[in-house]
Amino acid sequence: MKINSLTVKEVFHSLVTLEEGLTEDEAKRRLKEFGYNEIEEVKKKPLTFRFLGQFTHFLAVLLWIAALLSFLSEYLHPGEGMLTLGFAITAVVFINAIFTFIQEYRAEKALEEMKRLLPFYVKVIREGKEREIYAKEVVPGDVILLSEGDKVSADTRLIESNDIRVNNAPLTGESEPVTRVIEPFTGEIINSPNIAFAGTTVVSGSGKGVVFATGMRTEFGRIAHLTGTVTSGLSPLQKEIIKITRVIAAIATIMGVIFFATGHFIGRTFWENFLFAVGIIVANVPEGLLPTVTLSLAMGSQRMAKRMALIKTLTSVETLGSVSVICTDKTGTLTQNKMAVKRIAYIGEGIKTEGQGPSLLTVALLCNNTKEVEGNLKGEPTEVALYRAALESIGHVESRRIKEFPFDSDRKRMSTINSINGSIYAMTKGAPENIFTICSHCLRDGEILYFDEALRDKSVSLYYSMMDEGLRVLAFAYREVKSGEDIKSKEDVERDMVFLGLVGLEDPPRPEVPEAIKKCREAGIKIIMITGDGSRTALAIAREIGLVKGNSSIVEGSDFLRMSDDELRMVLSKEEVIFSRMTPKHKLRVVNILKEEGERVAVTGDGVNDAPALKRADIGIAMGIMGTDVAKEAADIILLDDNFATIVNAIEEGRAVYENIRKFISYIFSSNIPEIVPYLTYVLLRIPLPLTIMQILAVDLGTDMFPALALGAEKPSPAVMKIPPRSPKERLLNFPLLTRAYLFLGPIEAVAGLFGYFYVLNKGGWQWGEMLASNNILYLQATTACLTAIIVTQIANVFACRSFKESVFRLGIFTNRLIFAGIAFEILLQLFIVYHPFGNKIFSTHPISVEIWLILIPFALLLFSAEELRKLIVRRVWKKSLP
Amino acid sequence: MRDLGLTVYTKIFAAVNEHLNSEISARYALNLARACGAKLYICFIAEKGMSRLSFERAEDAIKRLFIKAEEMDIQVESIIETGEPVKEIHKIVRHEGIDIVFASTRREDIERRFYAGTIARSLSLALPCSVALVRVVHMGRIHPRNILVPIKAKIDHIKERAYFTAKMAESFGSKVFVFHATKPITKFFHGEIHLTPVEWEKRLPKDTSIFMEYLRKYQIEFEGRVLPGTTARSITIEAASKRHDLIIMGASERSLLSSIFKGNPVEELLRETPCDLIVLKPRHEDK
Repeated sequence: MKINSLTVKEVFHSLVTLEEGLTEDEAKRRLKEFGYNEIEEVKKKPLTFRFLGQFTHFLAVLLWIAALLSFLSEYLHPGEGMLTLGFAITAVVFINAIFTFIQEYRAEKALEEMKRLLPFYVKVIREGKEREIYAKEVVPGDVILLSEGDKVSADTRLIESNDIRVNNAPLTGESEPVTRVIEPFTGEIINSPNIAFAGTTVVSGSGKGVVFATGMRTEFGRIAHLTGTVTSGLSPLQKEIIKITRVIAAIATIMGVIFFATGHFIGRTFWENFLFAVGIIVANVPEGLLPTVTLSLAMGSQRMAKRMALIKTLTSVETLGSVSVICTDKTGTLTQNKMAVKRIAYIGEGIKTEGQGPSLLTVALLCNNTKEVEGNLKGEPTEVALYRAALESIGHVESRRIKEFPFDSDRKRMSTINSINGSIYAMTKGAPENIFTICSHCLRDGEILYFDEALRDKSVSLYYSMMDEGLRVLAFAYREVKSGEDIKSKEDVERDMVFLGLVGLEDPPRPEVPEAIKKCREAGIKIIMITGDGSRTALAIAREIGLVKGNSSIVEGSDFLRMSDDELRMVLSKEEVIFSRMTPKHKLRVVNILKEEGERVAVTGDGVNDAPALKRADIGIAMGIMGTDVAKEAADIILLDDNFATIVNAIEEGRAVYENIRKFISYIFSSNIPEIVPYLTYVLLRIPLPLTIMQILAVDLGTDMFPALALGAEKPSPAVMKIPPRSPKERLLNFPLLTRAYLFLGPIEAVAGLFGYFYVLNKGGWQWGEMLASNNILYLQATTACLTAIIVTQIANVFACRSFKESVFRLGIFTNRLIFAGIAFEILLQLFIVYHPFGNKIFSTHPISVEIWLILIPFALLLFSAEELRKLIVRRVWKKSLP
Repeated sequence: MRDLGLTVYTKIFAAVNEHLNSEISARYALNLARACGAKLYICFIAEKGMSRLSFERAEDAIKRLFIKAEEMDIQVESIIETGEPVKEIHKIVRHEGIDIVFASTRREDIERRFYAGTIARSLSLALPCSVALVRVVHMGRIHPRNILVPIKAKIDHIKERAYFTAKMAESFGSKVFVFHATKPITKFFHGEIHLTPVEWEKRLPKDTSIFMEYLRKYQIEFEGRVLPGTTARSITIEAASKRHDLIIMGASERSLLSSIFKGNPVEELLRETPCDLIVLKPRHEDK
C-alpha cells in the first residue's frame, strides 16, 4: 500500500493533515524533522583531501622516502649533491601530483543544474489560508496549490484536479503532457496518475495536492542522489597507471636493495652504496610519465573536439578506446530526427479516400498543434511532418477548434473537436492499437462500413506491414458530434469513431550510421539500441542500418520490468539486442548489469533522468543539440552533432590514444637502461659515476617530454578499428613492451652512453681506476658525452617507437610533423645543457666538441636499423603465424 | 508462517512523542505486533516543561495508534507517564518484560556525530531488550513492498535478525533483498580484480547464507546479492536505484575511535537513506 492507492480521506489520515493544511507550528515542527525541501549535495571527500591523496599513493610515498633519505644524507655527508637530489625528487612528487589531480578533477555541476528545475516559491494552504512560501520550506503534509505554468516543488498526492496536466519530461523523458487525476491507483508511485512529481511542470489546468515526500526523498531527489553518488570507478587508464607504478616501484626497490647489498659485499662504504641505491631508484622511476600521459590525453581531446566530440574528463579519451558495448538511443542519434510522411494507407483500394466527413489529411491538419511562425512550422517533429504533408496535399482548411483532449502516454492518442462549415467533428489521431478500440466504423473507398472483425484484421495487418518498413505508424479517425451532445470528457468524445486510415512516418537513418555500425562490428563493439518506439519499427530501422542481421533479441519495456536481473543478464549476453518501448529510467539497470559482467560501457542520453546512467557508465555521452543541461553535466563526452558516427570516430581516436601511450611508454622506458647501466658500472667497475642524478632528471623530465608527446599525436592506423576491444586483462605495460624497451633498445643506448663517456675520458688521458673530482673538467665533459649519447640515440628511438611492427618507411617519415618539432626541442634543450653556463651549472655539464656528437651518430643509426630489422622479422613471423 | 521455536516477540513497545515521525515509527511496531501476535504498548513519556500543545499532539497520536491497533485486532495498551524518557521506558521495559522497543530517531539526532547523547542512542545502549530505531524520511511508502537488508560478513543474533526481518516482511507482504557490500578484491600488481555477480555469489559470507536460510524457513520471498564497494554508499545506491521502500540493518558495533577513523556506515546511512530505515539492536541470544 502506497500513498497513491489511498482515497483522498485516507491520504489526510495517513499524512496526519487536513484539507485546511497544517498549522504554522506543525509545519515548523515538520521542517525540523524532515529538513528543507531542496536538492542536497551528497557528502564527498573534500577537494583538499583529494589533492592531498595525490601525495600519499604508493609511488609518491616511495619518492618521499627517497627524498627524505637524500636530505638525511646531505645532513650527514654534506657536499655530495644530495640536497639537490632531495629537492628534485620532491619537485617530481609535486609535478606528478598536480598533473594527476588535474587529470582526475572534475567539477560536479549536474546537481546545480537539477536545482534550477525546482521552483523558488510555492502556494500552500496553512491554517485554512492560502499563502506563498519559499519552496524549500514545504513539508510532508502541506496542502499545495498548482496552476498552469507552476513548477511542482515536492512529490504531491493530488486531492483535487481541474483537468490538470503536467509535463513529466525531467522524470520520464517523455515530453508529452500527461493528465493527472485524484482517484486511487494501485500500481507503483512512479506510474501513478494521481501524483505530481517534484521538478515537473503544470502545463494546463489546476489542482490541489498533499505533499508526501520532500527534498532528496522525492523521485527527483532520487535521480539527484544517484547522479551525485554513482560513479563509473577508476578509468582503465588510471588502473593501468597504478599497476605500472607498482611494477616500476617494485623493480626500482628490488634493484636498489640488490645493488646496495652488492656494493656492501665488494667493500664500498655505506654512503657510496646509499647514493647508489637512491640513484638506481631515481633512474628507474619514469618521472615524466604522468605529465606526458596527461598532455597526450589533452591533445587527444583536442583532436576529438575537431571531430565533434567534446571531452569533459581527460581520461575518457582513452576509456573510449576500451569500450566494448554502446547503449544508444535511436531518435536523433541513429536517425536524423527529421520526421517525414512516407506512406498513407487506407483499408480499401484508396480510389476514394473521402466520405461525407473530414478526410484523413484534414484530420492530420486539424488534430494537430503545429504552428506556422514566419513561414516556418513549429511543433513536435511528428506533428510537423503530418501538418506539412496535409498542407502540401489539401492546403489550409477553414475550421474553428472548440476543444482539445491532449495526447497522453496512457491513451496514446489526442483528440480535438472542430467546427468545419457548420458541422462539428471529433477528430482523433494516435497509436493504431489505441484507435482501433474506439472505432465502430471505418471508411473504405468512400463508404462508411461497420468495422467488423475482418476489417479490423485487415487494418492490423496493414499496420504491421508498415511497421516492418521501419515506419512510425499513426491511425486517424473522426465522428460527427451531434448538437447538444455531451463532450466534456474524453470518454464522451473518443467513442464510436470512423477509422480513416494509417499514416507511416519515417525518421530516416543518418547516412553515416551504417558505415559507423560496420566499423563497430569490425572493431568487436556491441551496439544495444534502446528506443521508445515499438518493436517492429525498431527492428526495421535496426535492419536498415545494419545493426541486426541474424536473430536478434527484442525486449519490450513491459517485459523488461518483469525480468529478473539474471534473465536480463542472459538477454544482454546475446549478440544482437534491442530494447523497445523503453523509457530512459531503465538505462541505469542495463548499464549496471553490463558493468557487472565486466563490459566497458558507453551510454547515450539527453534527459534529466538519463543522468544516473550517464554517470554510472564508463563513458556517458550526452547529446549537444537535444540534451538537457543536466545530462550534459553528468556526461563525460558531449556530442556536438548528436550523431552516432561521432561516437565511433571518438572510439577510433581513443584506441589510437591507447596505442600512442604504449608507444611513448616504450620510448620513455628505453632511456631507463642507459640511466641505470652507468650506475652499475660505477659500482661494479669502480669508475667515476658516468651519469649524475640531475642528468637523469634532465632526460626524464626534459628532453624526453616533447618527443614523447609527439608520439602521443600519432594518427590512428587503419588497423586500429579492425581488432576487438582490448581485454581488461591486457596490460599497458606488458612483457613484450618491457623486453623491447629494457633488453633491446635500452642496451644499445647504454652502450652509446658508455662509449661517449669512455671516449672522452680516454682522450683526456684518464687511467683506469683513477677517481676524478666532481668538478674536474674532464669528468664533466665525460658525463656530458654520456648524456649526449642518450639524447642522440633517443632521437633515433622516437622514430623507432612510432610503431611496434610497421616499418617507419611504410608509415612515412614525415607523416607526424610533431616528431620533428619534438626532436628540435630535445636538441635545443641539450644544447642549452651542454653549452650554456646556466645549463652547465644546474646539470654539472661542460661543453664538448662537435666531434663527440659526430662519433655518437652511428649509434643512433645502429638503433634505428636494428629496430627496423626486428620489425621485419616480427612481421614475417606474425604473417606466417596467421592462418 | 512458522516461528521455528527460535525468537518470538510477545510484547512490543512503541515510544511516541509529539513528533510525526514517532507516530510513523509506531506504525511499524503496530504491523510487527500483528504479524507476531504480540501485545503492543504505546507509550508517551512527557518531559518536564513540555508545552500543552506538544502534550496534546502526543496524546492525539497515541489515540490514533490505539484505534488503529484495535481495528487490526491487536492487544494494545497505552501508557502516558511523566519523567525522564530513557529512565521511565527502562522501568516499563523491565516491569512488563518487553521484547523489543521501537523508537524514532530525529533529524537533530543524526546531525550529531555518532548521534551521541541522543535519546535514541541512550535507549539503544541502556535498554535490556532489543531496540529498533526508526528513521522516517518518506511518508508515501506506507506499506513497504521491497525491503533491503544489508548484512555484514559477520553478524551476531542471526536468528533474531532473521525473525524480525521475516515478520516485518510478512506483515507487509514484502519481498526481502539481502545485500552484502564487501571490499573489492585487489592484488598488489593487478589492482582490483573484477568478479561477475555469479562469482561474487560464491563468496557469500557464511552468516549471510545462514540468515538467508532462516528467511527460506520462514517462507519469505527473498533475493541475495553481493557487491563490492563502500558499505554505506553501496547501500544507498542500491536502495535508490531499485526503489526499495525500507532498509533494515543492524546497529553499529564500531567503537567511537573506530568510527572516527573508519567512518560509521549506520551513521552515514541515517543521514543519506533514500527510504525509511530501521536500525535493529538485537538482544535475544541465539539458542
